Amino acid sequence: MSGKCGLFFTSYRAEDAVFPSRFQKLCLAAFFLALAVCPLFLNTYHLSILNLMGISVIAAVSLNLLTGVCGQISLGHGAFVGVGAYAAALAVRAGLPFIPGLLCGGAAAAVVGMVFGLPSLRLKGIYLAIATLAAQLILEYLFLHWDAVTGGLAGVAVPPPEILGFQFMGDERMFYLIMAVATVCTLAVTNLMRTKPGRAFVAIRDYYLSAEIVGVNLFTYKLRAFGVSSFMAGIAGGLWGHYTMYITPEQFGIGQSISFLAMIIIGGLGSVQGAVFGAVFITLLPEVLSAGAGGLGSVFPDMATYFLAMKEGIFGLTLVLFLIFEPEGLAHRWRLVKAYWKLYPFAH
Amino acid sequence: MKRFLTMLVVAALLVPAAAWSADTIKIGVLSDLSGPTSDVGRPYAEGIKAAGAWLNSQGGIAGKQLELIQVDYAYNVQQALAAYKNFISKGIVALQGWGTGDTEALVQFVAKDKIPDFSASYSAHLTDPAKAPYNFFVAADYSTMLRAGIKYLKDNFKGAGKPKIAFIYPNHPYGLSPIAAGKDYAKELGMEIVAEENVDLKAMDATTQLLAVQKANPDFCWIGGTTASTAVILKDAKKLGMKAQFFSNIWGIDENLIKLAGDAAEGAISLQASAGYDDAGPGCELIRKVTNGQHQVASYIRGFASMLVMAEGMKRAAAKGELTGPSIKAAVETLKDYDPMGLTPPISYTPADHRPNMAAVLFQVKGGKMVKLATSTLERKAEWLGK
Repeated sequence: MSGKCGLFFTSYRAEDAVFPSRFQKLCLAAFFLALAVCPLFLNTYHLSILNLMGISVIAAVSLNLLTGVCGQISLGHGAFVGVGAYAAALAVRAGLPFIPGLLCGGAAAAVVGMVFGLPSLRLKGIYLAIATLAAQLILEYLFLHWDAVTGGLAGVAVPPPEILGFQFMGDERMFYLIMAVATVCTLAVTNLMRTKPGRAFVAIRDYYLSAEIVGVNLFTYKLRAFGVSSFMAGIAGGLWGHYTMYITPEQFGIGQSISFLAMIIIGGLGSVQGAVFGAVFITLLPEVLSAGAGGLGSVFPDMATYFLAMKEGIFGLTLVLFLIFEPEGLAHRWRLVKAYWKLYPFAH
Repeated sequence: MKRFLTMLVVAALLVPAAAWSADTIKIGVLSDLSGPTSDVGRPYAEGIKAAGAWLNSQGGIAGKQLELIQVDYAYNVQQALAAYKNFISKGIVALQGWGTGDTEALVQFVAKDKIPDFSASYSAHLTDPAKAPYNFFVAADYSTMLRAGIKYLKDNFKGAGKPKIAFIYPNHPYGLSPIAAGKDYAKELGMEIVAEENVDLKAMDATTQLLAVQKANPDFCWIGGTTASTAVILKDAKKLGMKAQFFSNIWGIDENLIKLAGDAAEGAISLQASAGYDDAGPGCELIRKVTNGQHQVASYIRGFASMLVMAEGMKRAAAKGELTGPSIKAAVETLKDYDPMGLTPPISYTPADHRPNMAAVLFQVKGGKMVKLATSTLERKAEWLGK
């Protein structure tokens, strides 16, 4: 059956494919099939976790594009998600259908992202991080005080999404919608990384001076990175708003920005797969800890309270341990695991 | 040794939670036991659990025992949502919520799933059933409290001319919530608003803002933060020698604040919603019995009262028929001047007005203790609903 050993390409087109081997394609098909049927076996709680994971995946993949691929540190991602959420909510309440509203949210977030990406022309590294932190704080202030647009502290109620008369009400239907959008976004970023702008981003990250010598216009490509990344953050925000059906300024704080950064660091900077792993890991971590504390609680009642109190500490500890022992993240560990199985019993 | 520990952890994770009989009334409890508001969140959660245990010892509701499913969400909205979905999958009929973050995020969900949510977030817009049909709480909302405080201070003002009032609050939804209402009412009563300053919830120093307030020389000064920032403000005010009468609400001045601020808290007025631990009354006696005389802070008493009010609604619903979310909501809305064993001023809800009462119980810090001053009651004005 398998006459060939390994990957053997006979055309450039085959070599360029996103998933070159037949095994990868089969695995992907099986994965999507599992996703499609899992709502039949999972209850609302598990589906809600998967929904939160899907939204986090979109946000993490977009932040990875900006920070991991293009090298621009951004602490304002939580606020860009918020801009998308508010813009999409307002667009839908003004009468636009769901998908144009979502794209509106993305566009608004892209514009705001590019405005706050202007400092990237002159600032690098930690200084850019402070500038994007300023973006986060300014936008938080705007969410809280611009009553006419964002409703201030009362927030905005968002109707559930509706496409061609079909209402996406409830976790099961939102699951399909969120997974569809997440798939499209992930695929888009993967393809973007294989095109000229993607290669330009990588060049800027690796060494901006060399990139400039080679002919990459630093400013326009950095702005483009901010724009595309914020557009997808806006899409994630729009989905979040439609999922919770009520957005308030408290949901888009600095904690969210740090959470997204943690996702891409733990997952692995620079790889889309890493961003997905990181998003899944960070979303699952508090739930696993709660479940663990619950399980321990029935055996050691007092210990459970202390365990729960350490949740924030455990989050920080995980981040630090990953940076020390696995700086290239879960994606790297996954590659090592795959290599081990592929090459067994040889070491390399 | 390592293998034994690993096996122990795995076994602990595999042991399912204690098996309950299917015939219990499940209530979800969202608590902040380890997050930013845990200093008041933990006593509140303990109050709820104590009330639940007492109700179960009295035979439960309609013969069924109450099962409280508690989750610590550490004030993280995403975790609150996940915990809520978990509760729904376990079949709760009612929810004891906690802070503004989770209560706001869940407003639409509890309305859609028809689960009454008794929160500890007393935001005014949660009292309007048109916007938040399934939200209740047992203390007067923040705006009503501020108005009641202003009314008491105006009525007892002994100086000449217009009383001067200043507002100090954090730039946060909780802090901003009552300010507009408070300013309007102060103007209506003929007070002069002389200063307005922002002091963050996590502030370590408030001298700059207080110097500006001191220049305006107010008679009264509202502090809209939580105990941490209130302690900072009071200590800095004492340092500057400010003579204004400071007043705050339940989250600003309580027994913890006296420990944090020491003498600087002397004379400060607190707008509470419940009786104190040492007060007379059947409810306080019960709490003293249940806690073996160990002093509990106001949050504990409010948590206890919240559970009692919810239980009263459940009893009425069970008497009429089935115990479901909508039936509990309808039953709670029939409560008129219901007195939860003297723990709070009488509570009334209607289908069009979820404000429990229009009263604030004023305490003043005298000699390191909270001493009851008076109860200030306002008229239940329709135009104040939801503001």
